[in-house]
Order: sequence, then structure tokens, then C-alpha cells
Amino acid sequence: MAIRVNPGFIDELDRYGAEDVQLCYQCGDCSTVCPHADEYYKFPRKSLRQLQMGLEQKIETTLEPWLCYYCGQCSEQCPREADPGETMMSLRRWLIGVYDFTGIARQFFKSKTSEILTIVIIGLLTGGFFLFYGFQHGNIHIYDGKDAFLNSSFIHHFDLSFGLILLVFLLINSVRMWYFTMIKGTPLKIPWWMYLKEIYQLPWHFFTQKRYAECEVKRGHKVYMPWILHLGLMLGYVTMLILVMVFIEQLQYGPEIRWQVHFFGYLASLGLIAGTVYFIRNRFIKNYIQYKKSHSTDWVFVVLLFFIVITGIAQHIFHRTGFYEIANYIYVAHLMFVVPWLFRMPFSKWSHLVYRPLAMYFATIRKETLKRQEKLTNPYALSIK
Amino acid sequence: METCRIGVFICACGTNIAKIIDVEAVAQTISKLPDIILVKTYKYMCSNPGQEMISQNIKEHKLNRIVVAACSPNMHERTFRQALQVAELNQYMLEMVNIREQCSWVHKDTVEATRKAISLIYAAINRVKLHDSLENLSVKMNPEVLVIGGGIAGMTTALELADAGYFVHIVEKNSHLGGNLSRVDLTAPYFYSARDLISERITRTLNHTKIHVYLNSKVTKITGYVGNFEAEISKLNGNSKEKADVIKIGNIAVCTGYKEFDASRVTHYGYGKLQDVITSFDLEKMLKKGQVVTSSGKPPKYVAIIHCVGSRNVEFHAYCSRVCCMTALKYAHEIKSAIPDCYISDIYIDMHAFGKGHEDFYLKSSEAKTLFLMYEKNDRPVIHKAKPKDDCNLLIEVNERLSGEHIEIPADLVVLMVGMEARADAEEVAHLVNISQDKDGWFIESHPKLEPVATSTDGVFIAGTCVAPKDIPDTVAQARAAAARILARISKGEIEVDAVFSEVNPDLCSGCRFCNKLCPFSAITFNEEEKHSEVISALCKACGVCVSACPSSAIKGRHFTDKQILAQIDGICKGNEFALSYENA
Repeated sequence: MAIRVNPGFIDELDRYGAEDVQLCYQCGDCSTVCPHADEYYKFPRKSLRQLQMGLEQKIETTLEPWLCYYCGQCSEQCPREADPGETMMSLRRWLIGVYDFTGIARQFFKSKTSEILTIVIIGLLTGGFFLFYGFQHGNIHIYDGKDAFLNSSFIHHFDLSFGLILLVFLLINSVRMWYFTMIKGTPLKIPWWMYLKEIYQLPWHFFTQKRYAECEVKRGHKVYMPWILHLGLMLGYVTMLILVMVFIEQLQYGPEIRWQVHFFGYLASLGLIAGTVYFIRNRFIKNYIQYKKSHSTDWVFVVLLFFIVITGIAQHIFHRTGFYEIANYIYVAHLMFVVPWLFRMPFSKWSHLVYRPLAMYFATIRKETLKRQEKLTNPYALSIK
Repeated sequence: METCRIGVFICACGTNIAKIIDVEAVAQTISKLPDIILVKTYKYMCSNPGQEMISQNIKEHKLNRIVVAACSPNMHERTFRQALQVAELNQYMLEMVNIREQCSWVHKDTVEATRKAISLIYAAINRVKLHDSLENLSVKMNPEVLVIGGGIAGMTTALELADAGYFVHIVEKNSHLGGNLSRVDLTAPYFYSARDLISERITRTLNHTKIHVYLNSKVTKITGYVGNFEAEISKLNGNSKEKADVIKIGNIAVCTGYKEFDASRVTHYGYGKLQDVITSFDLEKMLKKGQVVTSSGKPPKYVAIIHCVGSRNVEFHAYCSRVCCMTALKYAHEIKSAIPDCYISDIYIDMHAFGKGHEDFYLKSSEAKTLFLMYEKNDRPVIHKAKPKDDCNLLIEVNERLSGEHIEIPADLVVLMVGMEARADAEEVAHLVNISQDKDGWFIESHPKLEPVATSTDGVFIAGTCVAPKDIPDTVAQARAAAARILARISKGEIEVDAVFSEVNPDLCSGCRFCNKLCPFSAITFNEEEKHSEVISALCKACGVCVSACPSSAIKGRHFTDKQILAQIDGICKGNEFALSYENA
């Protein structure tokens, strides 16, 4: 069966950031410099081709976009300035939209206005709600305890229920990702034990982001700063998420410092501050090729996170220094950033936290199955290499 | 007969000859022969010092026969003849021995090759003794020129010549000038209007006092030879009683152009059967009208352009038509600017963007989001009608090479980029002016690199797409080159003809006329009054066919007499023994 070409697809992807992909004439230089491309996963060239031709059905089943960590060497190399790196990035955005069954992600990626408007509305609603709730049930001059302006057990329940709803969305989207890539996109039958055998890939790639580090091997840098800071940012973020979701009542307790939770809190804040400042700075001064073009969603991601961290730290300081009223107002502001941020979770760049390790997990399974198949059909294939 | 004083000059050609042939040994052996005044060897005999050495030795030693053992006479016979002339020795007193192409380059055994070289030189010495002094002839040059074909090439040639002050006759089959270019809207890659390019030429050609334009006409007969041709020009429309014009000209420029490939021959594409499958020339018509529409009168949403229709395929034409790639890109731009939300797929084999500004144009087409899809030369796309539920008229199925996918491309309008082929009447023209065609029907130039507009017939030049597919700049360049070549000849006033040609001895000729038919250059005519054949020396190329065919031995090839050739053969046989005797000694 012939696959239908969709010449209009390239115009759609333009809004996801693939502004120059039409310039690609398939020389393959990008795949040659790419530290991650191999004989099983031929990108960026092939992904660019599929995009140009509008083979949507094909692209939604590919894992290649997730195997790229955007070091930008391909874009530096490209003789036609087709920006393969940014194109892979745009494909990741598009895939997030495909996995998301609600269509909200697609809307956010395609329209800057709708995303910002949503954030502002949710932020204002959140602010209004918590101010109303606080003045009804609490005292603006008290920060923690039973009579606090925003009672920590209430916040805890709020966080958990909100998180649970979003987790459901995220789970559904992840299952969809699995269906597209492993059922629709894999012609081979994958043995069940393969899933068990490779399960270690998930935590391994989640916590080390090893492949991100490998990006720089070819450039000859000993340490790749974006990787270190990204890892710091991510670990800080996850730590903070756990603290907020599980230990919020202890975290909010004060004014004395509870080192068993606050130690982790400070460490996480450090990672988050360093990461967000570093990435915002890079996107401003465009020092690496991968920061030359920033999609609106990239800006929203780092800026929102930066404000969350800043307001979080500020309320902590004001609480410990006795300015309870100011601390409470900043707390509301903090929540005004946090809630839209949480809402965006399954529909935005944030979800790559889940999709990246999943993709590595699936990609390894797919590759191993393929290798196994090759060995079965052609036992000499490996010895020839 | 004067005594022969022979000088032998042996070239080492760097190491080309010397690495296989022991040049010094050859020189030593040859010097033992009678009548040899001197034998010299030199690293590069064709170099200026080498030529000077020959001239000087001729003067010093009063040499009257020269043998040069070097490369092929095709390469350097002229050079060495010049050296003889400088020393005031008749240039035909030279005999060249090809010990490079015919000896050192084709043999591995040094001893055998050296022996062979000695034999060949021995034979040449035998021959050169019988050489006669010959004088080149000169023929008066008629300054008028005939240009066949009134397209861009023909008009350019004609204008160039007429502007220089010489009278030109231009013969065009159609009722108007302009040729194929007048069917084109814009040109690639700079979007100059073809009409603008051509209308200025047409007006100038028609109004030029030095140009006579014959429209609806055809050259029906050409006789004569370089400098003195006679052409008969007949009207094509109807009246056969109308007397043909006879003109006298000195040179002929053939600029008959091309014909487009008949797309219906590629059955896969359904041209002529499927609606909305059109050729590039059909599209040109639409573009000229300013209205690109499908058969239903609506502007297309998807346009597909298929390259290499009839070109680059053994089934039709294996060659590349050179202009279609850029023309296709031009269509992509023109359609896109007429219908901005139209998607254009460009289905190609290889993108040939060889010319000036072409690569930029290709890049611009990519920028305009033309979708380039690559197919395999022998795996052509197939066009079929779309189903009613599809949002397009046609679907093109093809194995796309860069993605490795079997795909179908939506299209409302399919444009077939038809290639160029030789005109059906090219053979007729070739016969008329006595030039040859290659396997594809294109006229053959006398040297593909160094003589791109001259032909094997003196005084007949070719330019433009009748030689091979080419674009407008190349065509114009060739047309001007042909004009320049003709001008150079006209300005001399007369033309020198090689002294090497056949001669008929009228006393021996029986009038059988065998030779008249055999001559590949139509250089022999029959003198009805005196009943014997005559060679037109200006046309004769000295191939020797008539000499060997004449049953009465009435024809002599000057510089290739029976005696000379037999002496050479005799020399080859004896030369071997001679070489052996000195090897043993």
C-alpha cells in the first residue's frame, strides 16, 4: 500500500518550529556528524525527509525525534542551513501533540496567544481562589499552623488531587505513545520478556541522561555544561516535586528550619536556580546553536519555572524572617505560577520528562528485537560486520 | 631526380615514447641507412626548440626530405610542416611516423617495440624519397551566408554576420521567426520574458537590410563546396510551379533546432488519455494566457511536475535534455506566485543545476517549499485517476528513493517535462548539407571540445539545439561562435585547400562513374561534355575511396600515390630484417 504524501504538512510543522526544513536536500551530512544516529535509527536525515513529504502516519510511529538531544552539530554542519537540530525539536513538539489525546498540546504549540492566555487566566483564577479561600478560612498575618492563611494540609490535598488528575492524563498519553511506537510502528512481534529485560533503561536514562552527555563526545568537550545543568535542573525539580507533593506540611512548618526536609529543599533550589538562569541566559545570548531559535513554549517553560523558584524561595525567606503577611502574598503569587505550570504538564515540553526515558526504553527493545530477528533470519550477518 | 638528403628526427615525448622504445638505439640503427644525412633525438620535438632544431638542420645540412618519428600526425603534422616551411622546404616533404600511439603506448616489450619503431621509420624513409613538392590551392570565398532555421540560434548567427556587413539568407519552415523559444513564457533562472528576448531579434532580423528572410520555405538542394555553394530555396505552401530561388553563398550555418518528445509514448503517464496530464509546452500556453487551471476550470491545489519524460532512459533517449530541470523549477515558481496556496511536487531523477545561477535557483525553489521527490531512472512513476473521496484529480505512485517509501502523491495537474529530440527532418538536412548525425539524430561537430560548431564538411557550421540539447545561453554562444568562424573565413577573402586530394586522369577514365557514387563527400562530378569524372578539389578530403575503387586506375591520390604506399609497405617488411641484423651485430 502506498503511503499518501501530504505536501501541506510542512506548513503545519512550521508553527512547531521547523522553519527551514524545506531547504534540506538530503545530503546526509547531519546523520554523519550525529553522535546518536546508527544503522537502526537513521536521523536526522530520514526524519527530515519524512517531515518534508508529510508522512504523518510514519512519523507518529517513530522514536527518532526522542533519540536526539539537540547538541546542534547537525545544524552547524548543514550545507543548506536547513537546521536539522531545530527540526528534530519541532518533531518532538509535534509528537507531544500526537500523544496528547485532548488536543490541548497541539493548540499550545501552534498558538502562542492561546497558551499565554490560558496561563494568565488560570493564574488569575488561582490567585482569586486562594485569596478568597485564605481570607475566608485563615489569617493573613499567620503563615503556618492551623490558622494559617493557606493551611498546609489544605494545600496538600489540593496538590495531591490536582496532581492525580494530571497523572491520569500523562498516563493515557504515555500509553498512546506506546501504542503508536510499539504496536503501530513496529512490524515485528515483540516478546513480552523483552519489556522486562530492558526495564532498567527507564530509571537509568531518567536519572543519568547519559545520552545527553554523549552529545558532546564528537565535539571533544570534556564536560558538557548544558548536560550538567540540565541534570541539576531536572534532579532539583524532581526533588522539589516530591517534597511538595509528599512533605508539604513539614516544608511549610516554621519559622525554624527542619533540616531533614529543608536540606533537600535548598539543594533542589540551587539546581533549579542554576539551571533556569543558565538556560534563560543561553536563550538570550544564543551562545550555542541549539539556543538560536526559541519556540514560544521554550520561553514559557523556563520563565515560568524561574518565577516558581524565585517566589518559592522568597516566601521561604520572608516566613523565616517574620514577614508573614508578605510571605502569604508571595505564596499566593507562587501558586499563581505553580498551578498553570502543573496544568501545562501533560500538554507541554514538561512531558519530555516522561517521554524521553520511555523512548529510550522502547527504542532499545525495538532494536534488540530487530537484531534478534536478523540473527534468526541471517545468522552470518553479525560475523560479516 | 635530385639526390635525397634525409633528416630523421626522433621524439622521446618525455617518457611516453622513451620508456618503451630505446630511442638512442633506434637513432643509431637508422643512421646506418643510405641517404640519411642526420638522425637526431630530442625530448619534446614539438616544443619550440625542437621545431627550431628541425628548421636549422634543414638549412645547415641542405636536407630535402624529413622524417619525424613522434606522435600521431593528427596531433602534430601541422606543427612539423610549419617547421619545414620556416626552412623554406616544401611542407609535403615531411613524413611522420607514429611511434607513440601505434608503438610505445600499445606495447610492453622494449626489444620488440624498438624493433617495430625501426621498421616503421625504415618504411617512412622509403616513402619520403618518393614525395613530391605540392602547393596548396586557394579558392575564392563568396561572402554571402545561408542560415537554415529562424529560431534564436539562426537569428543570432544571421544578425551577427549581417551587422558585420555581410549578406545573409535565412530560411525558415514556419510562417514566423522565433522557433521553439517563441512558445515559451518566461525563462529560467532569472524570469526574463522569452517574448522580450525574441521579439527584438525578430524585428531586427526582418528589418535588416543585409538579411533576406525566406518564410514558409525550405532548402531543397545544395551543390558546390566551401566558398562557392549554390542553394535552391523552395516555398512550402502549395504552388509547386512557383520557381525555386537559387542563391550563391560561401558558408552555411545549420540552426534547425529540436522537437519536443511526444509524451504519449510513455504509456505510464497516460498523456492524451488522462485529463489534467499536460506537457511542459501545454503549461507554457496556460502561463502565457495567465491562467493555470485544471480541466474543470478551477485553479489546482496540488501540481506535480515529472522530470525526464523521454530523457535519461534507455527505452526512449538515454541523454539528458539539460533544460528541463531548471524549466521545472521555473514552473514551480510561476505557479506558486500565481496560486500561493498551491502545493508543488517536483518528481525528479537527479537535479541538474549546472549553469550559472542555477544552484541558487534550486535553493530558492526549496525555500518556496517545493517538495522534491526522487525516483529511480528505470522505475518511473505511474499516474492514475483518484477516487471520488480523494481531494485531488490524480494520484502519482512512485518509489521515492530518499525516503525508501512507496508513496502516492496527490495532484490536480500533472506537468510532464518533455525532453528534446532531434527533428524528424534532421536526416534530410544532414543529407542536404552533407554532415553526419549521431545515434540520437543530433548533428556531429568535427571535434566535441575544440571544434564545437564546425562539421566534417568545410563551410558548413552547426549551432544550437540541432547539435545537442542546450539552454538559451549555450545556444546563443554557439550561434555567435558559428558567426565568428564564418566571419574569419569571409574576411580572408579566399580559402586555402590542402594540396592532398584526388585527381582523375581524363585519358584513362572510362566514365563508369563508380567513384561519383562512392565519394562520401560528393566531391566527384561527371563532366557530361568530355565524358569523364572530375574531382572538386576543395571538397575532396583525400580519403582514397575513389583511388582504390577506380577499375581503370585513372584516379591518383596526391601525396598518397600507389608508388609511395607500396614503397612504405615494402619498407615495413624490410625494416624488420634490417632491425634484426643490427640487433645481432
